[in-house]
Amino acid sequence: MEPLLSVRGLTVTFGSFTAVEDVSFDIHAGQTLAVVGESGSGKSVTALSIMRLVELGTRGKIERGEILFRTPDGDMIDLVQQSEDAMRAIRGNQISMIFQEPLTSLNPVYSVGDQVAEAVILHQGLDKDAANERVLEMFRLVRIPEAEKRMAQFPHEMSGGMRQRVMIAMALSCDPKVLIADEPTTALDVTIQAQILGLMRDLREQTGAAVLIITHDMGVVAEVADDVVVMNRARVVERGSATQIFESAAEPYTKALLASVPRLGSMAGRDEPAPFDLVEYQS
Amino acid sequence: MTLPVTGVSPEQGDLGPPGRQALRLFIRNKAAVFGLVLLAAIVFMTLFGSFFYDQDPSRIIARPLQGPGEGDAPALGTDYLGRDVLAGVVNGGSTSLTVALVAVLLVAVIGVSLGAISGYYGGWIDVALMRVTELFQVLPALLFAMVIVALFEPSTRSVAIAIGLASWPQTARLTRAEFLRLKNLEFVKAARASGASDFRIIWRVIFPNALPPLIVSITLIMGAAILFESGLAFLGLGDPNSQSWGLMIGLSRQTFLNGWWTVTFPGMAIFATVLSFSLIGDGLQDAFNPKLRGR
Amino acid sequence: MNHITARVAWSLGLILAVIVMCFTLIHLAPGDVAIVIAGDSGAGDPEVIAEIREDLGLDDPFLVQLGGYVGDVAQGDLGTSYRFNEPVTELIVTRLWPTFLLVGTAVSFAIVLGVLVGVFTARRPESPISHGVTVFSLTGYSMPVFWTGLLLVIMFASNVQWFPVSGMRDVRLEGNWLEEWIDVAHHLVLPAITLGVIYLAQYSRLSRASMLEVLQSDYVRTARAKGLAERRVVYKHALRNAVIPVVTVAGLQFGQMLSGALLVETVFNWPGLGRLAADSVFQRDAPVLLGILILSSTLVVIINILTDVVYRLIDPRIRVGGASQ
Repeated sequence: MEPLLSVRGLTVTFGSFTAVEDVSFDIHAGQTLAVVGESGSGKSVTALSIMRLVELGTRGKIERGEILFRTPDGDMIDLVQQSEDAMRAIRGNQISMIFQEPLTSLNPVYSVGDQVAEAVILHQGLDKDAANERVLEMFRLVRIPEAEKRMAQFPHEMSGGMRQRVMIAMALSCDPKVLIADEPTTALDVTIQAQILGLMRDLREQTGAAVLIITHDMGVVAEVADDVVVMNRARVVERGSATQIFESAAEPYTKALLASVPRLGSMAGRDEPAPFDLVEYQS
Repeated sequence: MTLPVTGVSPEQGDLGPPGRQALRLFIRNKAAVFGLVLLAAIVFMTLFGSFFYDQDPSRIIARPLQGPGEGDAPALGTDYLGRDVLAGVVNGGSTSLTVALVAVLLVAVIGVSLGAISGYYGGWIDVALMRVTELFQVLPALLFAMVIVALFEPSTRSVAIAIGLASWPQTARLTRAEFLRLKNLEFVKAARASGASDFRIIWRVIFPNALPPLIVSITLIMGAAILFESGLAFLGLGDPNSQSWGLMIGLSRQTFLNGWWTVTFPGMAIFATVLSFSLIGDGLQDAFNPKLRGR
Repeated sequence: MNHITARVAWSLGLILAVIVMCFTLIHLAPGDVAIVIAGDSGAGDPEVIAEIREDLGLDDPFLVQLGGYVGDVAQGDLGTSYRFNEPVTELIVTRLWPTFLLVGTAVSFAIVLGVLVGVFTARRPESPISHGVTVFSLTGYSMPVFWTGLLLVIMFASNVQWFPVSGMRDVRLEGNWLEEWIDVAHHLVLPAITLGVIYLAQYSRLSRASMLEVLQSDYVRTARAKGLAERRVVYKHALRNAVIPVVTVAGLQFGQMLSGALLVETVFNWPGLGRLAADSVFQRDAPVLLGILILSSTLVVIINILTDVVYRLIDPRIRVGGASQ
């Protein structure tokens, strides 16, 4: 099957610094791909490059590579070559994104309902009332209780978990083909993390969207990912299905990432936590 | 306006590595160094200018309202009475600088003490002092100073006191904010735990760490005080027996359309002086907070 | 709303404190007002002086005088001007409108243009214009306002006679209301620019700094990720957040603007409160000075409350907590 989104040989620089070098991967409809790495490994820049937001919000530049995207009409287009106008029609519509910190990612001075409705009005050409209907529907879909009341609230009046639900509702409001989630649970409490991941998994099944999840947390990968790409220092160092990675990671770097996650049952027979194992690895 | 100097240990104060780093950054800032040179030039002119240009600014030396280079006029022309404008410019700075210096000392003493006490003790002392501060803040400063000067006869001293009285609230607020920020940090707790007196904690432990933003603020207030003094002098509320740039402009108000030089040059002197303080203050701000550069 | 009520109550106390302080200050001042009022002709005559003292209650105990004054002020009576022999309240009210016109125009000009410049340069932080803003803000701040005024007169009212040199109206003009308005506006241009340019310089820099910060924020990235056009991102999502510090600073600077207006009015012979104050200082016209101090402090207090309200309208985060600073 042809991939929905195919990144090929992507290289992104910030001045003389290369943040992403020769990165390639494919995402298929209905699948979740996790891009894993520690902070500074280039994974977030990769995500922003797909949205073509590295040049807009930051000083980054896409030097080389293609980002091929299959449009709903079935054509393959290279996002790198698209004009800013064409990209705007794709952002938030066919490819949408949620971010790590839901508090700062929502505008403090507008109600959350208005912020979600804005995307719907823009991409679906609905009027204000119809858009609000759609927002209500989305809020219920992401299981925000008392959705009607919540729509009029401002971000600071909500809990972190609720805000992230709003972000997800916003991202999914226009039925995107690809959802990019950049560390979507990192800023949340552990119990809320599990809820949000569960919600994302359910929604992927319901909408059939492809999900690209960016994370440093192998626990998250274990929860949601079908395939995994491991990045370190701007490059892809390992790739494979989630099962392969967890069972037989070849790279020392991947093993180091895996070792940082406590396993269920790892405390069996011990009274207190032991220091982490040291893992040798050379880059 | 929060400044990241929290890591500084108290005894290092402004002498430690952060102070040295700030100095290095300051020296590398061309605009700030220009400001420093400009100020040095103005101070030099004020102190020693009359040795090089020995003219009495109050004497009538030529026909009135002659422009630079006209007839027998001196370099910068003559005013409406025929006095030498250049002599006025050379001698006019002493009043402005003296008044501003005294006023700023007053501001620093009142503002820093009240702000420190307010921020350190908190509670009802803080409430009471901040209400007094607010009282002084709602009075338009120039108007307030005008009334003080007019009621207690204009003299260098009354002008300086009036400016000081009208300008301290800003410093009090800044000091208070710094003290509020610093007083719960670890090194202050440590000093308290080791039994240091309140007086010692306020002045030896917290105050040195609150200095960077205060130095910036005081530098800028120095410029503001010069503007303030020249404004009062322009209105005729300066010491009538002194030479002052503001007074020169004020006296030429009726005749300036016949002699642009009578107001332009004294004004440039005020402008240059205030600008030098602005540049230095700005440079210090950047030096203490490299992150905020260019803002 | 509770917060606003509390503030209004506290502000009334503040104004009372201003009245007490200024009254005391003027009372402490050396010199006998009776001699001032008696003028050149009566000053030598002890009987005239005694009569004036009797009239004004100057021989009453201080607290009685203060109490009487506060009571009068509460009823809107600020006493009688020594010089004009007219009620101070009327005198001030007729001068209030020109000052309002001057300060209002200058502030609007400074905020609107300043924010536009700030937005423009924040989007091009390395452009020459952006560096120009830094230079402009420092020079604008450092120029004595009366000097700027005189230079503008020399350039635009004398060298080229585009604008009148001084005053608010052309006395020779006899036209309908529209022509009168145009005449006032014509007189207003130079004074308003003189006063406004200082604040324009400050607000350009301030709004550039705050806009630069906001443009780096996560919610601006979200707005872009939504597919919004850059113009909408900037003017809807970023601008409203970026003007918050500008509005706050402008509100707090109102007292300073009144001080500036005082000098500008003197330069341009603008018939406002500042001119009245400057004239009254030399006449030692204490009732007028007291009245102006009280009124301008009250204005500052009112503007502070209004700023608070506007701030709350712009930023919903403040509406709940109720604590401002």
